[in-house]
Amino acid sequence: MNSATYLSFLEIAAGLVILCAIVTLWRRSLRAIVRALAVQGMALGVVALVLGLHHHDDVLIVVGCLVVGAKGFFIPTLVKRVLANEPMSRETSPLVNVPASLVGAGALTFLAYGATRPVVALVSTSAGRLIPLGFATLLIGFFSMVVRRKAASQIVGLLLVDNGIALVAFLATAGVPLLVELGASLDVLLVVVVLRVLAVQLWSKFAVLDLDELQELHD
Amino acid sequence: MNDVYVVAVGLAGVMGAILGGALPVSSRVGAAVALTWVSCAAALGAAVTVLSSDHVITLSTSAILPLTGVTITLDPLGAIFVIPISIVAMASTFYWLGYAGHGLSSRSASSAMPLFVTSMLLVPFAASVATFLVLWEMMALTSLVLVLTDQSRREAARSAAQWYAVMTHAGAAAILLALVLLSAHAGGQTFSDIEAHARHLSSAVRGTVFVLALLGFGSKAGAVPLHVWLPKAHAEAPGPASALMSGAMVNLGIYGIVLVGNRLLGGGPVWWWLLVSVLGVMSALYGALYAATSSDLKRLLAYSTSDNMGLILIALGASGLFGASGHPTTAAIAMVAALLLMVNHSVFKGALFLAAGAVQVATGTRDLDRLGGLMRRMPVTGIVFLVGALSVAVLPPFNGFIGEWLLLQGLLHGLPTSNTWVVISISAAVATLALTGGLTVAAFVKATGIGFLGRPRSDEATAAHEVAITMRVGAGALAALCLVLGLVPMLVLPAIERAAASARQVNASSVTSGWVSLHLLGLRGVLAPSLLAAGLASAALVVIVIRRIAHRRRNAWPAVNPVEPWGSGRKLQTARMQYTATSFGEPLLRVFDDVIRPSRDLDVSHLVESRYYIERIAYRTSNDDVIERHFYRPFIAGVRWWGQRARSLQNGSVRRYLAYGFVALVIVLVAVT
Repeated sequence: MNSATYLSFLEIAAGLVILCAIVTLWRRSLRAIVRALAVQGMALGVVALVLGLHHHDDVLIVVGCLVVGAKGFFIPTLVKRVLANEPMSRETSPLVNVPASLVGAGALTFLAYGATRPVVALVSTSAGRLIPLGFATLLIGFFSMVVRRKAASQIVGLLLVDNGIALVAFLATAGVPLLVELGASLDVLLVVVVLRVLAVQLWSKFAVLDLDELQELHD
Repeated sequence: MNDVYVVAVGLAGVMGAILGGALPVSSRVGAAVALTWVSCAAALGAAVTVLSSDHVITLSTSAILPLTGVTITLDPLGAIFVIPISIVAMASTFYWLGYAGHGLSSRSASSAMPLFVTSMLLVPFAASVATFLVLWEMMALTSLVLVLTDQSRREAARSAAQWYAVMTHAGAAAILLALVLLSAHAGGQTFSDIEAHARHLSSAVRGTVFVLALLGFGSKAGAVPLHVWLPKAHAEAPGPASALMSGAMVNLGIYGIVLVGNRLLGGGPVWWWLLVSVLGVMSALYGALYAATSSDLKRLLAYSTSDNMGLILIALGASGLFGASGHPTTAAIAMVAALLLMVNHSVFKGALFLAAGAVQVATGTRDLDRLGGLMRRMPVTGIVFLVGALSVAVLPPFNGFIGEWLLLQGLLHGLPTSNTWVVISISAAVATLALTGGLTVAAFVKATGIGFLGRPRSDEATAAHEVAITMRVGAGALAALCLVLGLVPMLVLPAIERAAASARQVNASSVTSGWVSLHLLGLRGVLAPSLLAAGLASAALVVIVIRRIAHRRRNAWPAVNPVEPWGSGRKLQTARMQYTATSFGEPLLRVFDDVIRPSRDLDVSHLVESRYYIERIAYRTSNDDVIERHFYRPFIAGVRWWGQRARSLQNGSVRRYLAYGFVALVIVLVAVT
């Protein structure tokens, strides 16, 4: 693949990652949010695949396939199971309403561009220009964890943070070692499992999936 | 060959800790004691080798600590600190064999004791910042475990351990800051690197490092006002542990001050040593005063430790002052006095704490007002305590006398110096020595007289029996050493002089000479301890003979009907009519009322029928630590208030906690951008 197509593929995939992050802020239906998460995971895998094909790095291609499998299919399925308890689940009353969240996401993206300038200057490859997108995804994920109430939204926020970190790692170093990537993915998988158990417990105890109910447990 | 010593010290300690934790209760204390003895013997061997041959043991390996490795050097200064630690540790652990049955045979205690002794022994070996800090911290943590092992007084022990943990870690933080600052500016973390570069640092850095080190090490030595943990932890620690803490661990505070002030920084300006002297004067006076008015036996001993550390600090300060104002002879004598006081204090305070532990085992109490008449019931323990008391009260022919004589000689001969501040502080130090001497005598007359003489004041004291043979031997060995060191101080003086020279970084030159009588070289001062002892003994003999003769003559007179004095003609006197420790301390409490400010509480309840008849009068006094009450308690209350305010930050909402993190991240990013 020549370098122009390589770059445009990379830009489209990375753009898709942050677009999906913004979609999770825009949509209220939790099913739609999880769908956006799945698309984001696949886009992230595509970034790794494109990088691997371009650099003829077999390990990176393997990682890309694994990422598509894990973040595109497996983890979203797990999250979807949390929703099975609440069929018509919607993020009814987020702390910050949707238009304001979208403005906030814009501001965070600006901040990400500003804050990563030194990092971008360090990375010599053309892929380095896209690093702020990963950073913006991370900030948006954090933001959605703060402003959303449902347990499922919290999980999604955490996964956005992880995807952002992974994107920065792929773009900055042309792939972290397989072992590190696997370790990080496994970590996140474990967190998702724990959160799923927590959500199920929350459902069975309080019949809601609203984290504000946990405040009752305060000493 | 010499490396073997160092490896043996560490290995035996670790093995002792493992066996102490793993073996069944029947054999664990024995194994721990045996391996601790191996560790002590190896350390003693290393120290004697260094002191007798001018040969410095060095060893460095990159194996044990990651990144920095371990660097070990034993020079004469370190060696003179190793010797008293190992002697007190050998006596205390032997004593532990008998004490273990009284609630000190748990896995944690048997495991912590060998590690504690080994880490104390190895602290003077450390020759790099990382090695020193690791050993220092290990010593603090293992001693903390030992404070907590007394299960019979769980609440008091827990509170004492809390005070100790906080104070020792605050001190360790100050030491860490000082040493890290020093190594950062000197460009290396081994002590030899620091020594080479420390002279060229700016005076601000040197001053900061010294003050931080003085605070950190001073708190370990129990210097007032950083002493508050000491009377609690030393009193609550079980017998052998308290002897080790008071007889050995506090020395390392002194070692740290000498190490940083004299060795690493190579001496400093007059104000450093004035600060040390002021700290010493405060500790000596305050410790002696509280020892004289305290009626808890071990608390009394702990305050007396503060007092003695004060004297050592005075000697160190005087040595520095004389050195800074160009009087090398008196500076050397003061340094020798400091180290001699340190060695002597270890021996007699170890003996005293072991005896106090025996009293606690035999009677179940440390309250002097409930003791009495123990000299007849526990003769060996009583004599050990008496010997220790005579030593701490600076009476010949026991060892406390020589050190203080040397210190006074140094101070008095150092008076004609040019610097006004030096003259003022030295005069104040001489006056302090006089006053604390008197107060200490009062304190130990009280402890011995009330605790061991008279008639028992409680059923527990009446039922007391002499303790196990190992306990008697362990304490008795230290008491015998008090007498030996008092009669022939020349046994240790050459070694101490070598160590003092190494501390002041001058060539070894002796300041004393003579085998029978002690001559101060360069000054006019002679003392013959053995002749003095012989004179005392013969004087005592004369008094006894004269009394015998007088007694015989009195018996020749017609028989008289003996009546108990002050008995108002009654035959019956109860034990409760005796003087108590509280009443003994009362006059002193009145004299120093403005300093101690004891709280007095008089509670009179009348009969219901008439106010002219009194049913009961309750009078309570408490002389808790005035510095603790006026400085530490308000500080703790302030911290607690802030803590309560901070609780409103947490309301249990997960999202709120996430928001804190998010807002902080965004603020940092904006600031960076």
